[in-house]
Amino acid sequence: MLKSTGVPMEKDLESVIPPKERLAKGPVAIIECFERIPCNPCYTHCARGAIKEFEDINDRPQLNYDICNGCSICVSHCPGLAIFIVDETYSDTEALVKIPYELLPLPEEGTFVTGLDRGGKPICRAKVIKVQNPKFQDRTPIISLAVPKDLSMTVRFLSLEDYYDDNTIICRCEEVTLGEIRELIRKGYKTVEEIKRISRCGMGPCQGRTCQQLIMEEIAKATGEHIENIKVHNYRPPILPIKLGKIHGGEKNE
Amino acid sequence: MNKTASVVIVGGGISGCAIAYNLAKKGVKDVVIIDKEYLCSGATGRCGAGIRMQWGTEMNCRLAKYSVEFFETANEVLEYDGDVEFKQGGYLIIAATEKEVAQFQKNIKLQNSLGIPSRYITPQEAKEIVPHMDETQILGAAFNPKDGHLNPFHTTQAYADAAVRLGVEIMKYTEVTGIKVENGKIAGVQTDKGYISTPVVVNAAGGHAQIISEMVGVKLPLYSERHQILVTEAVEPMQGPMFMSFSQNIYCQQTPHGSFIMGRGDPTEPRDLRVTSSWEFLEEMAKTCIRFLPPLKDIRMVRQWAGLYNMSPDAQPIYGPVKDVEGFFLACGYSGHGFMFGPVTGVVVSESILGEEHTIPVDALSYDRFEKGELILEPSVV
Repeated sequence: MLKSTGVPMEKDLESVIPPKERLAKGPVAIIECFERIPCNPCYTHCARGAIKEFEDINDRPQLNYDICNGCSICVSHCPGLAIFIVDETYSDTEALVKIPYELLPLPEEGTFVTGLDRGGKPICRAKVIKVQNPKFQDRTPIISLAVPKDLSMTVRFLSLEDYYDDNTIICRCEEVTLGEIRELIRKGYKTVEEIKRISRCGMGPCQGRTCQQLIMEEIAKATGEHIENIKVHNYRPPILPIKLGKIHGGEKNE
Repeated sequence: MNKTASVVIVGGGISGCAIAYNLAKKGVKDVVIIDKEYLCSGATGRCGAGIRMQWGTEMNCRLAKYSVEFFETANEVLEYDGDVEFKQGGYLIIAATEKEVAQFQKNIKLQNSLGIPSRYITPQEAKEIVPHMDETQILGAAFNPKDGHLNPFHTTQAYADAAVRLGVEIMKYTEVTGIKVENGKIAGVQTDKGYISTPVVVNAAGGHAQIISEMVGVKLPLYSERHQILVTEAVEPMQGPMFMSFSQNIYCQQTPHGSFIMGRGDPTEPRDLRVTSSWEFLEEMAKTCIRFLPPLKDIRMVRQWAGLYNMSPDAQPIYGPVKDVEGFFLACGYSGHGFMFGPVTGVVVSESILGEEHTIPVDALSYDRFEKGELILEPSVV
């Protein structure tokens, strides 16, 4: 399959994916180089000597996972854009995937893009955490994407378009779509609190656990404000729904 | 930012937006609404959103009837692209004491004479209307099928959109810090975003009305009182009317969306500008609600909050001009029913400003009634 489509299969990947124990320790390079070709910049640029010396310039790179610290120097030096850094310790739910990206325009840090798989299929919404483009990378920028952890070995490219479209329901309790929220923002509602009142987003049993962050991102995108400056809505008791029959015998508490 | 306006309305709730709409409709240019936060951020957006015509004074009956008739056609009249969600499921006001039975029969006579279709019903008849109630707890009830519920956010938005189409400017997140008076006349409004010169200021500041009045040296006999409320998850429609009791201190209504909204008053609530929530409220509310409407015990509440009643000495609004400060108009002191009076407020206050004759005579609700001691006490308030 690799030979006819250029897309590696699970069997091909087995040889380049580090063991679980190594992934749990932090960032590491994933070298998805499957062809014997005369090419060795990954080996010559690795400052730690994590890539085994090439006996023949046609050799495929052999990475010592324990020496590699995921520094990403090899990523921008691979002419085939075949090296990625995966950090599964990024957060409880997300992994960080560093991807070489030679298209223009570059994505902006803090925005959302669509994570693509090796075949170019849209796979998830991904946040752009970092865009590295210093001189020594020689115009091969590296984009760091936060993706759902279980997709750390799936997302290998990105498209600047947002994964969500106007029909995506972002408030599951009240079934409000992203398109409705975008329309409200266009109309001049620029705070979560105002959008909550007019759309009911965040008024349901989950009290905004899912939708609030998404609305804040949309407001940030529309206003150009940094998301840190977008206010969350007022949190109101009791946070988790509780049956009226269970509310008994509490104590004074403002 | 310095600018000029013909009328500055302080407060972007239902009152402010309705007044602005009515002024603009009558051709007044350069009307500005100022709100320190956003539309509905105060009492309007925090209220229980019940609409009733069952009042104990002729004045309140007339004001409410006018407003209900407006709400029935609000979507069309205001050309709103949303829905104000007016549900006329009625109000069932239960009588739990002999005193209430007598008062309700008197009220109903008055209401019927004004064309309000309320009637006195037995506990069994009440049970037919609200099948999940415990009818053994009541002596009887007053019922008006034309009362109901209305979405406060959409209703205010409908007024605001219509006002903006007519040229009204709405300044959100702008706080009034002072009002300038020259030779006994309004000269302008100072805000944290700049000065606006204007000959007319309308005080529609809800729970903050007394603070705005103090800026022009007028001490209103008003205080703000916290009232708390809770909302449940949405369930299948099961309760048509608002269920309410003055003596047992409860109002509870299922909104068209399916959630139950309920609240109560408490004489020990703080009389300041606090809108915090308390556990005592939850406990008392749950207790009262389950006593009268037992099956609601299995419904989950999702949120509680509080808002301010702007209380006047006779529990009725204050409308119109203030003698000592020319150009200063009042639309406050609603004592918990400012939202449902929104449409009539818009009409009569705009008429006061333009010196027109009132559609409904409201001179008895002017500010000087307190000086003259001519109070008309409303007996039916939660």
